[in-house]
Amino acid sequence: MADTDERQFTLEFEHVSVSFGGLLALDDVSFHVCENEIVGLIGPNGAGKTTAFNVACGFQKPTSGSVRFPQLGRSHLRPPQLASAGVARTLQGVGLFGHMSVLENVMAGAQSRPGGGVWRSLLGPPSGARHDRELREEAMGQLERLGVAKFAGALPSGIPYGIAKKVSIARALMERPVLLMLDEPASGLDEYELEDFIQLITELHSSMSVLLVEHNMDFVMQLVHQLVVLNFGQVIAQGSPNVISNDPDVLAAYLGLDE
Amino acid sequence: MDWFLSLTRQETTHSRLIAMAFLTVLTLVITFFLPPVADSQLAGGAAIAIVVLGLSWLTGWSGQISLGNSGFMAVGAYAAGIWAHHHASTPLVFTFVLAIVFGGISGLIIAIPSTRLRGPYLAGMTLAFSAAVTPLAQNFTSVTGGEGGLFMNSLVTPRWFLHFFSGPNAAINASAQWSADLAVVVAGVMFFFMANLFHSRTGRAMRLVRDNDVAAELMGVNLARTRTTAFVVSAAYAGLGGALYSLLQASVRPETFPIGLSITLLTLMVLGGIGTLSGAVIGGIIYSFSANLVAHVNSLTGVNPTSNVGANMQGIIFSVLLILTMLFAPRGIVSLQYPLRRLFRARPATPTPKDVHL
Repeated sequence: MADTDERQFTLEFEHVSVSFGGLLALDDVSFHVCENEIVGLIGPNGAGKTTAFNVACGFQKPTSGSVRFPQLGRSHLRPPQLASAGVARTLQGVGLFGHMSVLENVMAGAQSRPGGGVWRSLLGPPSGARHDRELREEAMGQLERLGVAKFAGALPSGIPYGIAKKVSIARALMERPVLLMLDEPASGLDEYELEDFIQLITELHSSMSVLLVEHNMDFVMQLVHQLVVLNFGQVIAQGSPNVISNDPDVLAAYLGLDE
Repeated sequence: MDWFLSLTRQETTHSRLIAMAFLTVLTLVITFFLPPVADSQLAGGAAIAIVVLGLSWLTGWSGQISLGNSGFMAVGAYAAGIWAHHHASTPLVFTFVLAIVFGGISGLIIAIPSTRLRGPYLAGMTLAFSAAVTPLAQNFTSVTGGEGGLFMNSLVTPRWFLHFFSGPNAAINASAQWSADLAVVVAGVMFFFMANLFHSRTGRAMRLVRDNDVAAELMGVNLARTRTTAFVVSAAYAGLGGALYSLLQASVRPETFPIGLSITLLTLMVLGGIGTLSGAVIGGIIYSFSANLVAHVNSLTGVNPTSNVGANMQGIIFSVLLILTMLFAPRGIVSLQYPLRRLFRARPATPTPKDVHL
């Protein structure tokens, strides 16, 4: 599917290797995420999924190889550059700001938009308040879209885990991403919430590309267009869920162990 | 009632302007009724409140701690003092701007290494800075005047202000009150700017970094720059506060800025309530009238003020206050307002964000 059409790549890993001392965490990893495609990165524990995510986000420098964002015209982004370039990433767990309300957490997603520096902040021109009100409305809109608007005034510590996950997605959406990276979005969710999530992400992919790391195979298989399977830092298979679920290497390395 | 609530929420700049102007004018009116001694104390408290506010911003908003703010105070005070000593006729505004600039620069210099440090290491680094500043001032005698310091004569009571006073001590009374009024106005202006900062994009960036630095970076916040900005603003506030404090004393001397002052600032911030405007005001008020409290306790207990215990009575009182505050209002004296607010709430809370820092 991906090779035959002419969509641009949103993210492209080319021969990326990462070594920690003698340990090769990623070994010549190449894969790509096409425009409006949902790609799942799977593999057993320690396969290098999180390292791959960290390399994509610039938290970890690749020892060799390159990470490019052709659709964005960028490459090798560092973490603070991601948001303004159009890459949003959620964190394992929820990674919300603990002392800020749910609404403020979502508003924080707009922090990378231009808005003036410290002098402007000190003087507090009226445009600032207007800008804030618009942000607040936009953030409220995101919360409503995800059906969690009634928690807007609560602190993250006071809301259920599934809701907090949605809040972290709402925050990511405030970044107006072209590429949405989800780190274990399904962990800790019950079946009902998973259904919800599958529907949500399926809706999102019409306007953005999605790359996700996930352990829950049922969830991944229902959701993604393409799978990249990592084991011991190497890509052992990639393709559609149908192809992957019949790949003997993958079955041996991963699915076989997943009962 | 609604307009009053919107004022206390301070969501717009003009509501903050009105609130600060109102409180400033109210305090100015009060100074007309205070005895001259209390006016002088209030002036000193206003200067300290500015410093406490700067520290409160650093700690409460950016999550960094500093034991160096007495050092930043000294830098601002000496910048203003050295200038004012030689150019007594310069407008005060210029002297204040000088103190802010030099305080800010010293903050920048300290921030560049410091923002890589956390917790106790950061505290240690900033403590070393404040410990170094006083000996510098003591030793560069030709510039700083050494132990004796420098004399400043910039706080001249304007002639029109004297008309409010009569009687044998008119000039002295007028001078005490003019000092207080000036300090209160400067504090009002600085509190207004800080209120803006609290509600700004910069303020939000601070809280993101404080709560979760990895997530903050993913939102596009530059961690090092944000932490440095926090330090510079805090040091600029300390610099101005230090300069104002010294101008009120008509001299700048090393003994005004002992290391212990940094601890006192920290204590005042915690007593009032970290990261809040009203907390800094409370801290300033406690400082203003701590001398009265000390005298009162000394006379109650019969302790000789020049004895070992008597000389340290301020520290003892602050310690007891700190323990009591931690026991009964861990978020500072300012947090005692929340039970009261609940009593008087006019309507149920709307789902607008409730700022935990107000």
